[in-house]
Amino acid sequence: MTKVVIMDVDGGICARVVGPTGAEHRRLANRVMEEALEQANLSFDEISYVIATGYGRLNVPFADRQITELTCHARGVVSLFPAVRIAIDIGGQDAKGLKIKEGKLIDFVMNDKCAAGTGRFLEVIAAALGVKLEELGEISLKSTNKVKISNTCTIFAQQEVISYISKGIPLEDIVAGLHDAITSRVVKMVRRLKIEPDVVFTGGVAKNIGVVYAMKENLGCEVLVPEEPLFTGAIGAAILGKELTLGAMSKGEPIPRKERRLEEITFFS
Amino acid sequence: MTNEKKRTINRLKTMYPLRALLDEMYKGNIEASKAGKPTAWCMVTFWEGDVILKAMDVESVYPENYGAVCAAFGAAPAYLDRSDADGFPTHMCGYARNCLGYTARMMDLGEIPPGAPMGGMPKPILLLSSGSLCDAHYKWFQALGRYLDAPVWTMELPLPGVKESRIEGAYEHNIGFMVAELREFVTFLERLLSKKMDWDKLDELIDDMIEMNRVWYEINELRKARPCPMHSRDFWSSMSGSLYPSGDLKVSVDLYRKMYDEVKYRVDNNIGALPIEEKYRLLFLELPPWHSLGFFNQLAERGWNFVVESWSYHPPQPIDLTKVSDPLERIARFTYQWLTGRFPDAFNAGEWGGYSAYPYLEYAQDYQCDGALLHPLVTCRTATNHLMLVQDRLMKKLKIPSLVVEGDIVDLKLFDPVDALRKAETFEETMNHYKKVRRQEGLEW
Amino acid sequence: MVMESQGLARVREIYHDRSHRVKQLKAAGEKVIGYFCVYPVLEMLTALNLVPYRVFGDMREPITKADSCLPTVVCPFIRSALDLGLKGKYDFLDGVVMAHVCEVGEKTAHIWNLYLNPPYFHFIDTPHTVHKAAQKQHKELLKDFEKTLELFTGKELSPGRLREAIEAHNQQRALVRELYNLRKPDPPLISGTETLQVMVALMSLPVEEGNKLLRQVINEVKGRKDGLQKKTRLLIWGSIIDDVALIEMIEGLGANLVMDDTCVGSRFYFPDVELTDDPLDGLAYRYLVELKCPRTFREAVFGETKKDYMADLDSRFSYLKEYAREWNVNGVILQSVRYCDIHGYEVPQVKDYLDSIGLPSIYLEHDYSEAALAPLRTRVQAFLEVIS
Repeated sequence: MTKVVIMDVDGGICARVVGPTGAEHRRLANRVMEEALEQANLSFDEISYVIATGYGRLNVPFADRQITELTCHARGVVSLFPAVRIAIDIGGQDAKGLKIKEGKLIDFVMNDKCAAGTGRFLEVIAAALGVKLEELGEISLKSTNKVKISNTCTIFAQQEVISYISKGIPLEDIVAGLHDAITSRVVKMVRRLKIEPDVVFTGGVAKNIGVVYAMKENLGCEVLVPEEPLFTGAIGAAILGKELTLGAMSKGEPIPRKERRLEEITFFS
Repeated sequence: MTNEKKRTINRLKTMYPLRALLDEMYKGNIEASKAGKPTAWCMVTFWEGDVILKAMDVESVYPENYGAVCAAFGAAPAYLDRSDADGFPTHMCGYARNCLGYTARMMDLGEIPPGAPMGGMPKPILLLSSGSLCDAHYKWFQALGRYLDAPVWTMELPLPGVKESRIEGAYEHNIGFMVAELREFVTFLERLLSKKMDWDKLDELIDDMIEMNRVWYEINELRKARPCPMHSRDFWSSMSGSLYPSGDLKVSVDLYRKMYDEVKYRVDNNIGALPIEEKYRLLFLELPPWHSLGFFNQLAERGWNFVVESWSYHPPQPIDLTKVSDPLERIARFTYQWLTGRFPDAFNAGEWGGYSAYPYLEYAQDYQCDGALLHPLVTCRTATNHLMLVQDRLMKKLKIPSLVVEGDIVDLKLFDPVDALRKAETFEETMNHYKKVRRQEGLEW
Repeated sequence: MVMESQGLARVREIYHDRSHRVKQLKAAGEKVIGYFCVYPVLEMLTALNLVPYRVFGDMREPITKADSCLPTVVCPFIRSALDLGLKGKYDFLDGVVMAHVCEVGEKTAHIWNLYLNPPYFHFIDTPHTVHKAAQKQHKELLKDFEKTLELFTGKELSPGRLREAIEAHNQQRALVRELYNLRKPDPPLISGTETLQVMVALMSLPVEEGNKLLRQVINEVKGRKDGLQKKTRLLIWGSIIDDVALIEMIEGLGANLVMDDTCVGSRFYFPDVELTDDPLDGLAYRYLVELKCPRTFREAVFGETKKDYMADLDSRFSYLKEYAREWNVNGVILQSVRYCDIHGYEVPQVKDYLDSIGLPSIYLEHDYSEAALAPLRTRVQAFLEVIS
């Protein structure tokens, strides 16, 4: 997913838009940006500074600077939960753990190689189960006896799930097992950072109430989830952009902008 | 129909008391060390360290074996997770990571972690690592320094090449090196334990150890007979008496002698390890799937007899050491013989994998094997890295096919007995085919 | 006749066609001996007029042939090097020397000998410890090596020639240290990428030619006016790096790699050989005790009866503190190829040490495949954001 946040000088959010993502990163980035500008009722020239982050950060032609999603997420989470020490983000393509001290990112771990332990795992298996991704959370809450998914590989786990269905195991127990599987995988990775509260959970998968429960269970502690867990990275990027701009202005320096353009580029055509 | 379970392998009657003794000794070691007796955590040192520690009254426990125990009892995943959380890469030896996680837990708690299988491993006063065969053997114990203040002694074992071992003077300096290292080790132990070595005791222990291995070697020689009188399962149940000399060695020697008599009786009376016709004689490498040994019974029902297995768990070919008066030199020559005993033959055969591949060429011929079952282990590089080479040499030189069935030492799910059995059924065709090829090429069997 | 290029231009030529020069020498009647890892004693080759040539892998080429004798769960660098051998890319070598650098390296030595059967082959069973007895054993092993070399060349290895060879190689080491000094200023005068290319070139030339080239490079670099920009200064530690891909990626993200602790770099070149009465003594000591690959077991005090973890770390890694201070390093990249046990066990320990001296670090694991380096970009960039 491509997300855009436009922030004003006081930190107020003027626009927050989410759009699709795909092979044509550049074109999509432009489109979502246009939508956000429309929402904020601004023209592109009125934007002082643009930071691109995440996987597609190198494919945003109108950005002034690229900063990794790790730094941006950390900044975004700190703005919402100043006491955060560990932030866990599970997105569609990766999962990461951030260690934060006094509002600063000091260490991180990430998985971007294997679909298991990312939102992709739930997508693939929801499809195999024939349920909508958004429904998984509610379904799992009914579980009384969650199954143990023993395969760590997404493809094998999918086969395992199908075998559970054919054995007549209730859907909710399978889904709860899936939530446990993805969570324990991510928690295992994040343990390298030595977990301590407050723990904040973000990313698209944090919208799934079942995974949030499983996360609490696996960590053995309370887990904070922002109202809009999808936008922490974008909010962080906007804050960093704001800080860079204000920093330059207070020193009387020019804002370090790149030459940029917002147009449908013809890169792929 | 009787209720009696169908016997698929004629297990040796003499194996049971030996196995019981080995189990007893394992528990005894743990008990003694829990009761405060000085304990060393040891890698397998191929007889270099065990008797010396024994002569100094130090109990030996073997974390590699404990890794297998933790895997079998389902305790390994939690320890592996801890090792991962502490930053040890996950591609490394499963037993090592299990031990690192176990130790981290133990030191956090200040005691053996609750629920540790078979009584756990008490805190050691010494870590005896080894440069033999496997890099994890010494890097693992070095890494334990994160958690333990026990000193590490790394035992040296030369691993020459086949040709290099024949250079004039090489044998002498290799033995000299081992003896010098062993002497340093004794001095070190005397300092560590504030007591002197009882050389007479050591002398006697070494003789018992050598005699025990001689008998054990002769037992395995008898397995060349057709039908083979002893299955690998009996080998695996008995091998730790030789590999981890413990308890009263004279008792072990006696039990091995009884085993020899039984196996000899079988040979003399044409009794094989299978109650049915021995259709295929198999070579097995390396560590078996401990939790799925029933798999071998299923194969036995199909006439598969496992007649020989990894050379590294076998004792050395006996040499006369009676004229060597220095006990440490006897150990050195004994262990060096184990490693390089086949090198002259390997040299003549133009095989440079002197211990990694050549012993299997010799075994396959001497034991007239129809095929090899290779069991690569995802997180044990040492048991895996030579298997492709062995497969290639067996086929190239002797037209013996190999069946490869993957597994692991801690992730027990990786070995799939159903799938393995399916593969084995197909493999029979392959073995039949190559039997013909061998005949055409003038090979004996 | 075409004018031969000089300095860094010549380095780049060699880097991109490593075997070109030794093949010329071979055509002129010289013998070229491949060596694997850093433990074979090069002075003994040089003293007998044999040209040492380091055996590398190729992270840009898929492994296709090595699968038949080395499984996929072992060091991909060694697999790659063997793969090149099996593909005939090292056929020009007149001989190969390998050592017991690690378990897979040792297995591979015998596989190499068996399947590639070079005219000359020798395996040095380097001990695992630095005990006195191990040092003595190492010297004996070098005598064995000497015997097979003499048999192969039909010449005697005289102590005089050996001393000259030691001096020539020490000269190379001194020049490399001088070159590394040019990485100390901020910004450094030479990049990590260029330095690695120089190291690779040196390992592809006879020692005297290498020394001549090094002098040119040093002069050229000293005279640079339009050097690099000031950036975050990094040290890189770990398993072999024989291709610029990883270094280029790191430097491209806004860092200067100013120091390394890897074996195509300082680990190979920094320690000198002491000229002892019997030159084999100095060689045996240097190649066993002073080469700092974690394949060798070390302890703070020989035969210590108590282990103090911090003292242990200090004895094993304090040179990293010196590197960090002298080269003014802001952070450390720990990297290893997957399936390297030798470096794998070391990672948490070296990290503990760096934490104890307040130097931030990040661990990267990779498959020795140029194409598979991309996922490391984000980690490196984030690390740079964290430390700057």
